[in-house]
Amino acid sequence: MKVAFFLSIAILSLLASWSSSSPSLSFLGIAPQDENYFRKETIKCRNGSRKFTKAQLNDDFCDCLDGTDEPGTSACPEGKFYCRNVGHLPTSLYSSMVNDGICDCCDGSDEYDGKVKCRNTCWEAGKKARDKLQKLIDMYREGVTIRKREVEQAKEAISKDKAELSVLKAEEKSLDKLVNQLKVRKEQIEKAEGKEQLEKDNEDRPNVQENFESTEASGKEDSLTSEDDVIGLVEQEESKSEHEDTNVAEDGSESIEDMSKEEIGRLVASRWTGERTGQVEETGSGADSNEGKDGSLNKPSDGDSEKNVYDHHQSSITDDLDSSSVVHEPGLDKQTQFLGFTIHIQSWLRKMQDVSQNLLRSVSWFSSPLDNLDADKIRKEYKESTARLSSAQERISSLTEKLKHDLGVDGEFYTLYGQCFETKQDKYVYKICPFKEAVQEEGQYHKTQLGYWEKFEESYSAMLFSNGAGCWNGPRRSIKVKLRCGLKTELTDVDEPSRCEYLAVLSTPLGCLDGKLKELEGKLEMLQKEKPEGHDEL
Amino acid sequence: MASRIGGCRRPLLLLFLLSLASQTAFSWKQDEFRNCNQTPFCKRARSRKPGYCTLIADQVSISDGLLTAKLIPRPIPNQEEGGEDHHQIAKPLLLSVSIYQSGILRLKIDEDPALDPPKTRFQVPEVVVSEFDETMLWLSRVSTETLDGDSAPSSVVYLSDGYEAVLRHDPFELYVREKSSKSRLVSLNSHQLFDFEELRVKNEGEEWEERFKGHTDTRPYGPQSISFDVSFYDAEFVYGLPEHATSLALKPTKGPGVEYSEPYRLFNLDVFEYLHESPFGLYGSIPLMIAHGKTGKSSGFFWLNSAEMQIDVLAEGWNADSGLSLPSDQKRIDTLWMSEAGIVDAFFFAGLGPKDVVSQYTAVTGKPAMPQHFATAYHQCRWNYRDEEDVENVDAKFDEHDIPYDVLWLDIEHTDGKRYMTWDSVMFPHPEEMQKKLAAKGRRMVTIVDPHIKRDDNYYIHKEAAEKGYYVKDSSGKDFDGWCWPGSSSYLDVLSPEVRMWFSDKFGFDSYKGSTPSLYIWNDMNEPSVFNGPEISMPRDALHFGGVEHRELHNAYGYFYHMATSNGLVKRGDGKDRPFVLSRAFFAGTQRFGSVWTGDNTADWDHLRASVPMILTLGLSGISFSGADVGGFFGNPEPELLVRWYQLGAFYPFFRAHAHQDTKRREPWLFGERNTKLIRQAIHVRYMLLPYFYTVFRESNTTGLPVMRPLWMEFPSDDATFSNDEAFMVGSSLLVQGIYTERAKHVSVYLPGDELWYDLLSGAPYKGSQTHKLVALEDRIPAFQKAGTIIPRKDRYRRSSTQMVNDPYTLVIALNSSQAAEGELYIDDGKSFEFMQGAYIHRRFVFSNGKLTSLDLTPNNKKSKFTSQTVIERIILLGHSPGPKNALIKPGDGKVEVGLGPLVLETGLGSSSSFVTIRKPSLPVDKDWTVELV
Repeated sequence: MKVAFFLSIAILSLLASWSSSSPSLSFLGIAPQDENYFRKETIKCRNGSRKFTKAQLNDDFCDCLDGTDEPGTSACPEGKFYCRNVGHLPTSLYSSMVNDGICDCCDGSDEYDGKVKCRNTCWEAGKKARDKLQKLIDMYREGVTIRKREVEQAKEAISKDKAELSVLKAEEKSLDKLVNQLKVRKEQIEKAEGKEQLEKDNEDRPNVQENFESTEASGKEDSLTSEDDVIGLVEQEESKSEHEDTNVAEDGSESIEDMSKEEIGRLVASRWTGERTGQVEETGSGADSNEGKDGSLNKPSDGDSEKNVYDHHQSSITDDLDSSSVVHEPGLDKQTQFLGFTIHIQSWLRKMQDVSQNLLRSVSWFSSPLDNLDADKIRKEYKESTARLSSAQERISSLTEKLKHDLGVDGEFYTLYGQCFETKQDKYVYKICPFKEAVQEEGQYHKTQLGYWEKFEESYSAMLFSNGAGCWNGPRRSIKVKLRCGLKTELTDVDEPSRCEYLAVLSTPLGCLDGKLKELEGKLEMLQKEKPEGHDEL
Repeated sequence: MASRIGGCRRPLLLLFLLSLASQTAFSWKQDEFRNCNQTPFCKRARSRKPGYCTLIADQVSISDGLLTAKLIPRPIPNQEEGGEDHHQIAKPLLLSVSIYQSGILRLKIDEDPALDPPKTRFQVPEVVVSEFDETMLWLSRVSTETLDGDSAPSSVVYLSDGYEAVLRHDPFELYVREKSSKSRLVSLNSHQLFDFEELRVKNEGEEWEERFKGHTDTRPYGPQSISFDVSFYDAEFVYGLPEHATSLALKPTKGPGVEYSEPYRLFNLDVFEYLHESPFGLYGSIPLMIAHGKTGKSSGFFWLNSAEMQIDVLAEGWNADSGLSLPSDQKRIDTLWMSEAGIVDAFFFAGLGPKDVVSQYTAVTGKPAMPQHFATAYHQCRWNYRDEEDVENVDAKFDEHDIPYDVLWLDIEHTDGKRYMTWDSVMFPHPEEMQKKLAAKGRRMVTIVDPHIKRDDNYYIHKEAAEKGYYVKDSSGKDFDGWCWPGSSSYLDVLSPEVRMWFSDKFGFDSYKGSTPSLYIWNDMNEPSVFNGPEISMPRDALHFGGVEHRELHNAYGYFYHMATSNGLVKRGDGKDRPFVLSRAFFAGTQRFGSVWTGDNTADWDHLRASVPMILTLGLSGISFSGADVGGFFGNPEPELLVRWYQLGAFYPFFRAHAHQDTKRREPWLFGERNTKLIRQAIHVRYMLLPYFYTVFRESNTTGLPVMRPLWMEFPSDDATFSNDEAFMVGSSLLVQGIYTERAKHVSVYLPGDELWYDLLSGAPYKGSQTHKLVALEDRIPAFQKAGTIIPRKDRYRRSSTQMVNDPYTLVIALNSSQAAEGELYIDDGKSFEFMQGAYIHRRFVFSNGKLTSLDLTPNNKKSKFTSQTVIERIILLGHSPGPKNALIKPGDGKVEVGLGPLVLETGLGSSSSFVTIRKPSLPVDKDWTVELV
């Protein structure tokens, strides 16, 4: 390796001395590979517009609009100056930077009129760049490996999900059939029972047990949705009242006269800033307390995940001001629950089908009086099957929802599904949940919707969340989350470059692309090639 | 970041309604500001009929070089009082007329101090420059004549070679007339609408208080308004009276054929989202009117008075039933002037042409300051560049995209809680380092410093100002406490020279922590804006230095604040660094202290269009260094509008892009490659023309002429130009026509004069005295160089103008029909005051008979010298037929090559045409020489 490196350097320097090792003044600003173009007596402007003589090359007068004749001076606005930057990467400067008194090339070649003296910093800068690049490459290498593993896992998980989905769908069908049969039977029994009831007055009602995990789960879901609805309603009313208040405060001059001097001042200031102030602010704080209620409403339903968030906060505060963390969505816990359940349901289903079929067969349809034991059994079977059916359906819809998303070329973003990533900046906590939403939280109860999941952008290198909360006199909030190579998945650098248009970076192994790694390696190779004589890096 | 989350967090349908409501509820509200009918003095004056005034001039005489008289009521023969509306003066008024060099007449009318008025009426100090006083002509002679039909005589005094002033005794009237023809130019009280409410003791039971929108004005001195009519003769149009968003030629506000209109109001106000077409008063006030007509002659009238003023331009026939006879053979425009307080201190300008009038006006109020060179380049502003990183990124992006800029601006958010001259320690922890980084690239920074001071005992400025009693007082004598950005605030009483002196010291590097020599200042909100005050300003009964009521001073408050800031920067630099201070409020004389912009405009095509008459009007009124926010302050411009705005803004004297904090980022590179290129080209055009602009700025500095001029100023006899305010001149060589509509396919441009005009970028010739319908191009707005002129350019672009100092010049000679042309070039060190000692290069280039000559225009007796090693690298001749192969240079007998070359060194911007070009003559810019084509 070492030998090979030195060898390549030797060849390079040989090549360099073969051609002109340092450009003559007339060849200033020309890339070595272009020098031959300028060796003729008459040279064409690259855009073909005209010709110029060798004497006009770099004579500090612009003859070609495209700058062909002035690669080494500032005479043509569209000219480009090539700095060799031996020891670092060569660069190409705008002609506007040639002899402007500011050192732009690390080799200082852009400032040659003697007005400033530029130190050659290429070697130091190059070494720094190489070291940095090397580190980046190391990380990329590791990241690419992790990414490959994750892609495999995602593929596996997706096919598992798909398999599960098709199993579930088949079973949904048979369960549906079974439930219908049981229902018919149950109704028959109940009819018969009604008749018998007339005859036998002191018959006890059968005891029904409702203790299925699945029923509980679906019940939870129901209550969640209904609470959401309630929250939505509350919000709607709030903004309505805010709207009205604004009107009141703004319109009648009487109300302005009723306001204190300070309130008027704030109100007028708010025109420029869009801040809500004075009376309007009171409505704002009212909304806050309502949101407080929202929070507590939410608590019982996903108390665990709330706790999870809290724990993370604790650790993040001790860490640093800006920190990031991963939060599992409440849905994820349910999902794991379901995964176990699916396996369970499959074996259960087979058994149950057998039992029920047997039962249905064994119960004599028209015998009277009814066998109480059989009737209870049927009822119980019906209840269980119904519950199973709705659980299966629920699971089907959640799997369908998940799989309908664009999960990347290789489905690699499967792993981000159902996860949330947080980071704290100043007083705000930013929370990004891929495929779902992005929010900004201030304190425990003050939550601002930055956007809902829209799509991947820039060939899967960024996630876009849009249509968030509207802005005063402005657009609805949106956030773009750029994916950057990192060994851990974490959210960093949330920014608001334009008002209400946010930008964040999610570093993740999923951002470590093989192609980019190759590119970086190529770049490093280039950097190492340009080693000048007299320096010994190794 | 996201500091205003509370404002908008409900992602619901209703938000739409809310935003609708906010649009209507928060945009400009007429009823928040007083109209004339709600303003008693205006309502009274406006309802008077011609012939109202019954004053006569008595005891007319010459004393101390002045023509003096007393104004007394005409004795009424049958003892009857006039109509009940007729107000009679109780004590004679003192009148004096003084005459100044170059045809300026000053009229003063005030109460007689010998008769013990309850209070001295306010005269605005420090507006009339001391040099002007020295140009007074000592009157020694008055002649008397009796005009046809008059029973009493008139007194006539000398005004200038061509004009004389006439004081008619009964009825009292003052006018300027041409000596030879006796035809009138401008007159006062010809319709006898003059009224002067003398200060007096309150009658029993009389109510002096005025209320508006919950605010009470105690008016402790009662009525004190003044009003009168002024007529301009041989006038087609009147101009002036900034600041209004309205046409250049002022439309009539009253009389036949005029829909109800308010008078033009002069009352400095912070108007949120102002309309693009309204006589409503905006941020600044200059009570100057200029009239111009087909004779090619202009006249002007300036009333030095800083109280609220309302001016009606009266439509022809407004006085049809007055029965007063005025010369009917002259086309006349009558105007009515009304002010709430103060005195009559009025100046009549008997100009020959429009340039003379502006020159006369600036002889009174001062010539525009010579800006630093960097200030004439491009400025990048936004509310707000958030932190040091943001600043660094924006700065770097300009270099990355090869777009030059000279100044980066920081709005109010850079401060620690809107305490001006402090820094937000989180966002801007290293202000000096930040400025030094910019300075290393030749770039400056501007920070905002507003006149409201946060009432916080821990804020050093407040602490000192409060202790020293430097604040404006409320009517009860306590420090006035109003609401502005920082919350509860007080306002420095800048009328006091002591306060100004103290405040200007605050700009010293030792006092303003974190400031460096490359930091300059921006004054905003200096109308003053008071969020909870009447009409968003200060109560009129607030008290200033010397017991002056705010009502008397209001329109000049921002002027004095601007003055203190500007003087602060001069002091900071030991008198060696020209100040740069941008102000929103202005008054007569503001041109001496810095530049002005047209305030919070909106990103729409109408505001783009309105910017031209607004800037032209400012220029006519002495303020030659002004501009409008490129892109529009409120709202988000479509890329096309933004590009068109850059293309127009590149020709504004003051060229700055600015945006409200709620708008999307709009730095030049954010709209795709094509738009980036278009904006880069627009900015490049400005940088290319900087030598020309700087030369015109110097012309403005010496003559008072605007940098950006109405066409009629250069073509005073061409009446097709009189109301044209969509095209304008930059200096006298360049004509620019904006494109003000979306997706314009064509643009019409009227080119005045008999000579050809050459397209600035393509070199294509166009005939004069014609309207040309041109194809609207994407990459430029129409701009033309007048045949017969020479424009100096620099064709190498740099990061900023600083690096262009040593770059060579290009001269573009546009030949007229006799194959001749002339032009000038002014160069100095771009920053110090040494030019005032003669340290500058000023060349006149004359081309005739195939020979270009460079002549020295600097005086011989200069105390200081400025030299330069810079050369002329290229001379382009427009309108010269190809043929010459060489040019001979003298002295030295050098011979250089002549060939054909492009007009502009940027692909796409110019055309493929080639023009006769003298290649590399390398002529020293500071020497005499000739170049002859052979």
